[in-house]
Amino acid sequence: MTVTHSNAPARPFRWRAGAGRVLAGAALLTAVGVLPWLSGADPALTVLRARSADQDPTPEQLVAVREQLGLDEGPVAHLVRWLGGDAGASWVSGEAVLPQVTAALSVSLTLMLGALVVTLLVAALLCARTVFLGSRRRLGRDRAGTAAAVLAALPKFLLASLLATVCGVWWGWFPSSGWEGPQWMVLPSLALGIPSGAMIGGLLGQSLPAAFHEPWAQTAYASGMPPSYTARNALRRTLPGVLPQFLPTVVALVGGAVAVEKIFNIPGLGRLALDAAVAQDLPVLQTSTLALVLLGVAAGVLVRALRHGLLGRPLRDGALPGLHQPELAPRRSLRWVAGACALALLALGTAGLLRDPLHVDTAARLLPPSVAHPLGTDSLGRDLLARLGHGALRTAGVAFAVTAVSAVAGLLLGLVPRASAGLTEVVATLPAVLAGLLVAGVTGPSVWGAAGAVCLVGWTPYAAQTAALLEQERAGGHVAAAVSLGAGRAHLLRRHLLPAVVPALLRNALLRLPTTVLVLASLGFLGLGEQPPTPEWGRLLSENQPYVELAPWTVLGPAGALVVLAVLAVSGSTVLANSASRRTGE
Amino acid sequence: MRTPSRGLIAALALTPLLAGCFAQSEDGGTDAGAGTNGRLRIALAVPPVQALSPYSNDATVLSKLSVAEGLTALSKDGTAEPALAESWTRKNDTTWTFELRKATFQDGTDVTAESVVNALEKADAAETKPRVLSDVTLTAKAEDADTVTLTTKSADPVLPLRLASPALAILAAKAYAANGTVSPVGAGSGPFEITRLNGKTKATLNRFDGYWGGRAKAAGIDVTWIADGTARANALRGGDVDVAEWIPTAQAKLLGQDTRHEVPSVRTDSLILNTGSSLFTDEALRAAARETVDGSALVDSVFGGYADPAQGLFGPAVSWAADDRVEVTGRAAAATAAQVKTKTKGRTLRLATYTNRTELPEAASVLQQQLEKAGFTVKQDVREYTQMEADLLAGKYDALVFSRVTLLDTGDAVAYLASDYMSDGVYNIAGLKDPAVDKAVKAAASEGDTEERRKKIMRAEAEILRTDAVLPLVHEQAVQGIATDVEGVILDPLERSLVDLDTRLK
Repeated sequence: MTVTHSNAPARPFRWRAGAGRVLAGAALLTAVGVLPWLSGADPALTVLRARSADQDPTPEQLVAVREQLGLDEGPVAHLVRWLGGDAGASWVSGEAVLPQVTAALSVSLTLMLGALVVTLLVAALLCARTVFLGSRRRLGRDRAGTAAAVLAALPKFLLASLLATVCGVWWGWFPSSGWEGPQWMVLPSLALGIPSGAMIGGLLGQSLPAAFHEPWAQTAYASGMPPSYTARNALRRTLPGVLPQFLPTVVALVGGAVAVEKIFNIPGLGRLALDAAVAQDLPVLQTSTLALVLLGVAAGVLVRALRHGLLGRPLRDGALPGLHQPELAPRRSLRWVAGACALALLALGTAGLLRDPLHVDTAARLLPPSVAHPLGTDSLGRDLLARLGHGALRTAGVAFAVTAVSAVAGLLLGLVPRASAGLTEVVATLPAVLAGLLVAGVTGPSVWGAAGAVCLVGWTPYAAQTAALLEQERAGGHVAAAVSLGAGRAHLLRRHLLPAVVPALLRNALLRLPTTVLVLASLGFLGLGEQPPTPEWGRLLSENQPYVELAPWTVLGPAGALVVLAVLAVSGSTVLANSASRRTGE
Repeated sequence: MRTPSRGLIAALALTPLLAGCFAQSEDGGTDAGAGTNGRLRIALAVPPVQALSPYSNDATVLSKLSVAEGLTALSKDGTAEPALAESWTRKNDTTWTFELRKATFQDGTDVTAESVVNALEKADAAETKPRVLSDVTLTAKAEDADTVTLTTKSADPVLPLRLASPALAILAAKAYAANGTVSPVGAGSGPFEITRLNGKTKATLNRFDGYWGGRAKAAGIDVTWIADGTARANALRGGDVDVAEWIPTAQAKLLGQDTRHEVPSVRTDSLILNTGSSLFTDEALRAAARETVDGSALVDSVFGGYADPAQGLFGPAVSWAADDRVEVTGRAAAATAAQVKTKTKGRTLRLATYTNRTELPEAASVLQQQLEKAGFTVKQDVREYTQMEADLLAGKYDALVFSRVTLLDTGDAVAYLASDYMSDGVYNIAGLKDPAVDKAVKAAASEGDTEERRKKIMRAEAEILRTDAVLPLVHEQAVQGIATDVEGVILDPLERSLVDLDTRLK
């Protein structure tokens, strides 16, 4: 029976996924194509502004721009011409679009490859201990991945500022700005790769113990196979579940590394697309989006091929036993870590709430931590403890809500991989800013706009993960057995599929929590989200970023709080899950 | 471990393939640590938007780096001085003749009356007309090889100042393409010649030995555009560049005392009150805002000392403003905090500003506190400028923290006053419709005598300030980062010049 249901869906899947990709890509490009008409902001005005900042927006000038760009023809004419293969010329500069986009794309791809190398190194380092112990059957305690949580919580732009200042300016090891040769790649690759590597490493580290506890590993150990054999095969067993995460985590950096590109002055695609979007330079924006869509699809196909190459026949033949977490007790210190983090956040919240977060005192500017201001003050003399405390609930609340919505949406879409695979690949490489622009175009400036925009693109990692894990789980013999015993769809989902997916999904969501906070704040310039001076952690980090070197405490506080939140989320969930499973086990 | 190492190998194998994907520069890459061969390395802030076309933002680059010249140039005290034109005379109200000097373009052709006429006609016909020509109709005619007659439709007393605008730079005929684009590469007449423009990241300039004014001391200039202020400061501190313009105030303290140089800028930051909005139609409320708003609190905090407390619309960078300043009289009496509360009837004051200049959002938070003290309820709206400009012009906000260049490309203050404060001004965010202001600005615009014109401008300033439609906060200072081994960098309030003949590495 396994053989009959294996070959049949392969072709329709490919066909349907292909159609899904085309459909999703077309929908996205159309949405981008009508952006200037959607937003209500006159493209003639933004284009004029981008060309010449001091230009008076006289009606004659605007008419001249409008005629020159053919704006009166409406979006359809433009879309048709563009689809006809004419990438056109930039509305702002009048230069051909294609050379600009290809140059920026090649820069961004090179940077992404550098980041990929760092990602792999960091992930390897984070998993090294588990692999070493596991392959020697000495894996006693569950590793909650606090180290991964700490690294994954580091804001990329902060890391970039720090690296540029310390390694670029102070020590002069590497050039701090520009893009002229391999040595220019080092610092930006590190800034982008370390958090991404922590993400990947954290996910891999969670699933590795399960592989080491499978019967084959025991057999291999008992029959005296070398540890490297076990390690290799355990990785081969677990990597396919993590591989899809490379798409939203690493490949998405091609278009989504704007902050780092700015800090290191890299002429990449992220900046090109953002500048084009802000100036409503439609030809550049559309072609950049197309490049990102094609990249996403290509990477998606590659990941799929890699996964199938790794899993091979067992997946095809439905003979893949499910990976199941062994009952490992978490390290005892983990409770303490979780407790300490919770206590720290609670103390921060209560102490902060008793203070005024908005009181500006220009005389008390950038004061270092003292008794009066335990965490120091920012550039306007506002108390940082107060701002952190007042922002805690809002920040954590919104980030949790957005993550929950994204994760649930991702889970639901991942359950129907045939319909969603194309959409996932297309959206995965889309920068959140673009979603923000679309949302701002529809709703105008709004408090909930940022959350909506992040949800719009934030579900892709979870959908990709769910789809991958489900495919593996469905290929398990126990699922086939359950089906032959007469299990219905609901039963399968509840008893077999969801339990296999949810823990990994949860870990993924918690590791991504700090990134969500930062992405939410990064949309502020579009008028999305809470307006200043409302304290909010992401804003605290971005508004104090210029003072990193002059007054490090202004960013250390918020960054530390973010790390604590991430560690609490990850360790807390491990502790809770463990005690829950023990209760059900007893 | 098979897969990660496979991925690694793939990545490593691809890297050299893609190494051609760096912002390639056959010379820049190798001699990055140089500067020894007498070339200056300069980091500019605003990347080119139209391949250095003089009709765009990029025009100032041409004058900053002494690539192109106009007929005239602007002197330190704000008057016109000879450049490509050796001398000029005003024949009558609308006719001027300009005598050209012997000069050659960088492509070897001579600067002739024909080339001047061609350049000015092209500027007039440009698809988006340069701002400097927006309020004048100019006709140019070549009298002989080195005499040009310019006629304006109506009297234009500031024509020589206008011609100093970088947008009216005279380029060789080859610069003007048939499709309307303009490329100054190898087509200027200044001491430095652009030999290569690499997108929005780099440009290479070499000394032009045929310059009429002599030979420049620097052998050439390597320009890098770095949009991020911190990155610009880092490039200077790391020794990657010799000069970095516009260091953000937050970074200025990190530079050595002898590398940071502050220049009073013609930029004035002010709080614009929208007289057309429901809240600030009431002049007593505007006066209350004026009484409570204190821009000097921003100087040492938000601007880190790199600003001057506001004296009016025009600051110390406009050298003559202080002498001719007129005292403001006839202002409305301010409402007390209690009156403000009753008059606003619970309406919130929508305070807008934009993120493009990092100081403005900080200033807005300070002002919010000051305004709340006077009894207003304030709500901020902070976005990217282009995201909100349409709303600003439509008068959707009550107040705006605004940074504005007060001497536009004419170098003449009237253009700014007319567009921002006259009832038919296109940039009248304050929604001001005041007959006395209109009259005063018009009087200044039609005055030909420089001294009298300045006096009338200051009278118009007083009229505008009387309305409380604009509350000047500070006059900004620009901080230029200049390495200690460079001398002769020009600190220009108008930000039109940076490098000239005498700029060099020690």
